[in-house]
Amino acid sequence: MKKLPAPRITTVLVGMVVGVVAVILGCSILIFIDRYHTAIVQNAGTSSAQAVSQVTGTVTNYLRDMDEAMDLVVASMEQSEQHRDQLFQAFLRIRPDVVAITSYTKDGTLQDCWALDHTPKENIVCNLSFDSSKTDLDGYVTVPHVETIFDSYYPWVVTMAVRLQNSTADWVALDLSFSSISSYISNVGIGQHGYCFIMDDTGNIIYHPQQQLIYSGLKSEETTRLAGMADGTYVEDTVIYCLNSVENSDWRVVGVSYLDELVNRNVAEMVRLCLLLALTVLIVALFASCVLFWLFGRPLRGLAAAMEDFEKDADHFTYRPVGGAREVQELSDSFQHMVVRIQRLMTQVREEEVNLRKTELKALQAQINPHFLYNTLDSIAWMCERGRNADAVQMVHALARLFRISISKGHELIPIAKEIEHAQSYLQIQKYRYKNQFTYAFWVDPACNDYLCNKITLQPIIENAINHGLDLLVEEGHIDVEVFPDGEDIVFRVTDNGVGMSPEQAASILQRGPSDRTGIGIKNVNDRLKIYFGEKYGLQIHSELDVGTCVEIRMPKVREGGYETK
Amino acid sequence: MRQNNRPALAVLLACFGLLAGCTHVGEADIRHSVTLVVKSTETEFWRSVFAGAEAAAAEYNMDLTVTGPETEEDYEAQNRMVAQAVANGTEALVFSAIDYENNAAAIDAAAEAGVQVVAIDSNVDSQAVRSYIGTDNYAAGQMAVQAALRCGWQDLRVGIVNFDVNSANGQEREDGVRDAFAAADGSTVDSARVVAAINTLAESAGAEADTAAMLRDHPEINVLLAFNEPTSVGAANAVAELGLADSVWLVGFDSNVATIDALQTGVVDALIVQNPYAMGYLGVESAYKLLSGQGKTLESTVDTATSIVDRDNMFTMDSQKVLFAFE
Repeated sequence: MKKLPAPRITTVLVGMVVGVVAVILGCSILIFIDRYHTAIVQNAGTSSAQAVSQVTGTVTNYLRDMDEAMDLVVASMEQSEQHRDQLFQAFLRIRPDVVAITSYTKDGTLQDCWALDHTPKENIVCNLSFDSSKTDLDGYVTVPHVETIFDSYYPWVVTMAVRLQNSTADWVALDLSFSSISSYISNVGIGQHGYCFIMDDTGNIIYHPQQQLIYSGLKSEETTRLAGMADGTYVEDTVIYCLNSVENSDWRVVGVSYLDELVNRNVAEMVRLCLLLALTVLIVALFASCVLFWLFGRPLRGLAAAMEDFEKDADHFTYRPVGGAREVQELSDSFQHMVVRIQRLMTQVREEEVNLRKTELKALQAQINPHFLYNTLDSIAWMCERGRNADAVQMVHALARLFRISISKGHELIPIAKEIEHAQSYLQIQKYRYKNQFTYAFWVDPACNDYLCNKITLQPIIENAINHGLDLLVEEGHIDVEVFPDGEDIVFRVTDNGVGMSPEQAASILQRGPSDRTGIGIKNVNDRLKIYFGEKYGLQIHSELDVGTCVEIRMPKVREGGYETK
Repeated sequence: MRQNNRPALAVLLACFGLLAGCTHVGEADIRHSVTLVVKSTETEFWRSVFAGAEAAAAEYNMDLTVTGPETEEDYEAQNRMVAQAVANGTEALVFSAIDYENNAAAIDAAAEAGVQVVAIDSNVDSQAVRSYIGTDNYAAGQMAVQAALRCGWQDLRVGIVNFDVNSANGQEREDGVRDAFAAADGSTVDSARVVAAINTLAESAGAEADTAAMLRDHPEINVLLAFNEPTSVGAANAVAELGLADSVWLVGFDSNVATIDALQTGVVDALIVQNPYAMGYLGVESAYKLLSGQGKTLESTVDTATSIVDRDNMFTMDSQKVLFAFE
């Protein structure tokens, strides 16, 4: 399974900020809703109770008013008939909500009826204004019913009836229309859809603002259950009921208000506000993340990339400082210092190594193989003894040239002409010493003469050719030394017709240390070339057994002063 | 930087979307308009429908316009009213069709214009009607027969006073009546035959004259059925005028002070009372539901309650509630 990459710092920060804000907002919304719900419920309960108590007050007043009117009617019943009729006509005019005043005998037969514009019909099928089931009481108020004693006039009324003491009639009743009551009740609103209605203590609805809806069966109230509850405020799931009894009456005012609409609307508002807040916080967080990215993320990423580049190629790395926060800048500066320091150290180490090698090589170069010197001096002495003075002089000259060029005032690079001269001197001496056992020839392109080369480059190769190629040869040996330019390079080629080498021998020569004869081996020549000019330059050996050996040296064209600047 | 910002931008947009969604919560604040086109504006039945419609319009905060032709036969006037209502930009129509077929084109055209249509009381032959709210007229016809059979006589000769022949509800009631009498014939009673049926104007004076003529032409009629409010009033007047209150058992429809008076005097023997207030209320309520995207909850047919009221039960609390409007 692939391991997930570690998250970016800006992602983490934004995630954290948004997460924390979300949690805090969530919690505060929950707490708020809870508190708010409680507060709203309390509030709604209170306002419901207030509305209901107001309605109760007006209904109480209305009933008291009607009681007083009833007292007046009762008193009038004791007056003379004519006086009474006048009183009632006047009364009906000032109280338009009184539909009729009726008087009854003990058994409920209609005796008299006073009403404006209506007279009772002759055959009354049923009179709902007299409730014979309540004749044992001194007075009662009926539930709503239709006025049934008139022709073509059927208003809904409630009847107030009282027993008479000092009159010809036993009962007198007022039929009250709902115009007054409805004006008290219909306009009372609790919340958006709340309302009040009046019922009696057994659960019959007396007046409801939507009475016709109830009569049409489109709406119902749980009056039976409400009738069983005492006065007070009841909070149910979504409804608040508030009950209040009307004084001196079996009527009760019920306030109904709906909780969800109150709460939901405000909660929706609150949630919207919170979302707005959350959005703002999110925007701020995003902005903050951008800022953080500019201050931290981007420069750190740049720094990381720079480190990676540095790791890949320390030599050619150049560091561009990154911006960002002070901490990042400090980090960047430290890295810059470190890079500079490391590069300096690396250069130093490399230089030291090269110097070490050069010193080593110089030390080797400086060594003069004592055997070579003794043998040569013996040869010269021998020549002098024999009177071959001219030869001796040549030998001494050759020897002198050999040493002069070997030393070359300590320079490593000498002109190729000098190097050729050096090789010639060496071959001259060796030819005497080997008693003309071999011949040699130089093929130098004059164009090469002015270029520089490492000193003592050819001599070890030639020495090797003589010692290993020609020494063991029976017939006369021959050495060719060629120098020619090849594009931007110069090639030295030393060819002999000696015994040759196997590829293993050839390879081992390039690995071996300096030969005991001259102090500088082929390997050293090769190493020196590579140190001075790079890996692609150096020495190659092509050899075939019994055919001969060809050693090719390749180096760049170097002019006076050119090497130092390189 | 770009990579980092893309999800952030998406979140931002999502938030804006959410916020925009929140601001659309106030759907309920839009005030919809609804037009109620009925058969007549005169009778108590329709006044009750209007009261119900107004109650619903007030409850759901809608603009209600009420119109109806002068006579209950003028379907062309109804079609014009429908077209006018559409032209006035009403969003919903609550419609009671005078003519089941001839009103259809106007309703289809209204629906074409994007108006939601609810039928009350009397349906129209259109697929555009999303809901029909009214009496199950066939059952009401059968109820009328049930009320007629209370007369106690064994040989029934029935006269029918129906209104406009093209009106769906009148025809359905007549079908119910005829089927119920056919079923009763020879089983519940010795014989029951419909001897005469007239289609008269839905207006009491005309109905009275036509009924009187029918009663004179068919003196054997002892059961008379009238199928709506004005024809019931007319039939009651004719029976009273001809002095046939005792010999003719009259079953009428709907509640009117005249028929209620007649019910007490014995001229009318029973009334089949519909629930016009509920029709008006539910019609407008259904229109609101259609307009506020709750159309799926609507039933294709809503049967408003119908009850039989006779002299014995007319002053029970339940009968009072259906007979007498609370104003």
